[in-house]
Amino acid sequence: MDEAFEIEAQALAQVLDELDYFQVLKIGQNASPPEIKSAYYRASRAYHPDRFSTLPAGELKDNIGRIYKRINEAYVCLRDDTKRTKYLADVLGPERQKKLRFVEASEQELKKEKEQEVGATPQGRKFYMAGLADMAAQRFAGAERNSRWRSPTSRTIPTSRRSGTRQAS
Amino acid sequence: MAEPDDIAIGIDLGTSYSCVSIIENGQTTVIPNEWGERTHASVVSFLEDGTVLVGNSAKRNIITNADNTVYSAKRLIGRFYFSDEVKKAQAVMPYKIIEGENNSVRIQIRDNVYSLPEISALVLKEMKSIVENYLGHEVEKAVVTVPAYFNDNQRQATKDAGRIAGLDVLRILNEPTAGALAYGFGKDITQKIAVYDLGGGTFDISILEIGKDVFEVLSTAGDTYLGGDDFDDRIMTWLAEGFLKQNGIDLRLNKYCLQMLKEASERAKIDVGRDGSAKIRVEGICQDPSGKVMDLNATLTEAEFNRMVMDLVQRTFKVCDEALQSAKMTTQDLDAVILVGGPTRLPIIRTSVKHYFGKDVMAGIDPDEVVAMGAAIQANSLQDAKSNHYLLDVTPLTLRVGTVGGYTDKIIDKNTPIPIERSKSYTTNRDGQEKVKIRVYQGESSKAAECEMLGEFEFSGFRIGYRGEVRIEVTFEIDTNGIVNVTAADVETGQKTSCTIRLSSGLTEDMIKVAKEKNARATLARGEAAA
Repeated sequence: MDEAFEIEAQALAQVLDELDYFQVLKIGQNASPPEIKSAYYRASRAYHPDRFSTLPAGELKDNIGRIYKRINEAYVCLRDDTKRTKYLADVLGPERQKKLRFVEASEQELKKEKEQEVGATPQGRKFYMAGLADMAAQRFAGAERNSRWRSPTSRTIPTSRRSGTRQAS
Repeated sequence: MAEPDDIAIGIDLGTSYSCVSIIENGQTTVIPNEWGERTHASVVSFLEDGTVLVGNSAKRNIITNADNTVYSAKRLIGRFYFSDEVKKAQAVMPYKIIEGENNSVRIQIRDNVYSLPEISALVLKEMKSIVENYLGHEVEKAVVTVPAYFNDNQRQATKDAGRIAGLDVLRILNEPTAGALAYGFGKDITQKIAVYDLGGGTFDISILEIGKDVFEVLSTAGDTYLGGDDFDDRIMTWLAEGFLKQNGIDLRLNKYCLQMLKEASERAKIDVGRDGSAKIRVEGICQDPSGKVMDLNATLTEAEFNRMVMDLVQRTFKVCDEALQSAKMTTQDLDAVILVGGPTRLPIIRTSVKHYFGKDVMAGIDPDEVVAMGAAIQANSLQDAKSNHYLLDVTPLTLRVGTVGGYTDKIIDKNTPIPIERSKSYTTNRDGQEKVKIRVYQGESSKAAECEMLGEFEFSGFRIGYRGEVRIEVTFEIDTNGIVNVTAADVETGQKTSCTIRLSSGLTEDMIKVAKEKNARATLARGEAAA
């Protein structure tokens, strides 16, 4: 292995935790999918651990391993349009430093989010769906009423009408 | 080119047959044994005098020395004693499958008890000595292949088997990926290929994109309960039912009759694939209640055979659909299809695969040897610093952690390129808690019961505090072998805690050491005379 590469790898390992995925793959934030793929292949040719399988265990080998894992992590995120859009918003936002590594919401969190959105109880979800239908049919008064009913925690629900939701919760 | 004394061998450790290959003078060569055999039955037979027979001569003992002859060990390696696969094996295998500690599986031969890695290690030792006989010097480095769909326990156990056999396992390589390597893609143009790998016990399909020097596995899917053995089973059922109807005797009730029936079925499958029909004749398969010796006679036509196995063939295409979908592709996006595994010789498979993918299949390399050859290519390139092909392989199964109420949470998605790592924070949930126990699973269901549990990881040695106060960061890593590693650190102090990783069915370091000594002492019989 040449010395220049070793210096580059050690330097990259130093700053790895300050780089976003675009920087890890050395591409622009608007790179196209084929550009992402070829950047990933280029990075793989340079940092794939198989290239260093005969290298003795030590700091350099560990660092190369750490870099390559981050390259894979970057690729997994950026090759997926949905993840990439969310990630880009994250790193352009005020919390950039905290969001350099993409973390998907867990299934439980997603479930919770969905519940918050569409109502936590079966009855609540029914009202939500009815609300959507009202909206589609442009019956806005009905839509508003149904949307208020979707969650037992909605504070706008008149107390006299709460019995229906209480049963469902 | 690697130095000759630094040679690394490629081993295809199959369910029914194994094969070994090396790179010699730049050529990928399958190494035959002294008798010119290029594939070797993955069968281990323990003789009365203490010698051990491995390979095709051991296979002949499946009937005559049934209690002391182990075959299809790959179906059991890395499994828990309570799993369905083990129960199924107990019903059909003549050898004794018993429970070991921590829900592990053991094989009892006379007064000796063997773990599954020890059995596989004897097959690996035979592969190693075939090469050593051929080269005239010792070898110790190897790449060993596994089905892409093997989970972590199965990979770990296979790696242990290699260590027990005195091999330095450079890589656990996925079989379909090895197949692609053997066909030598990756020269200049970018291609997308499918590797259809139907082995004795498992079916794997992988979709690869191959660019310059880079093999990227886009997706992989499989069924660990679908292979050539199932085709044999269909013939076996057909033969047994026919015999029952004719003579009122169920051949499946006696282990010895069953074994003869199984052998006849495998032969019939091969014959019908090659000749278009098979004459089945087993003399003296059983005795009727009056003591009269009875023969089994039947003729299997290709049409009849195809009808019997069509649903199995269709099942492979369901898995193909899944892999294509995961790679966001249709069959039209593919440039080539490679066939791997003995059963892909069957005309029914060839025709159906051709029809499903809408293109001719590549089968220029012997499907029984292609995996070992790919393993040899990978072994050579790992030894050669100037080598220039890189495998970007993926993890076939989602890695999960058990949560409350019997559910699991995704940690690393399936088809994620490896190596990869992902950290997750946990807090203690009791005051003064000293240990945190984390259950790790692999599988595609959010319910724990529907996934395979890999093991429990217990972490201790972190700060003791009030509940919710101590944060522990657990890092899950999948390495280039597809093997899962878990480490934990106290977030506040940054101190890495001591962690005990206990895979419930795995062998401890001490056990491996003892097994290695036992394996080194085992004398493998060389020669026909031993049979």
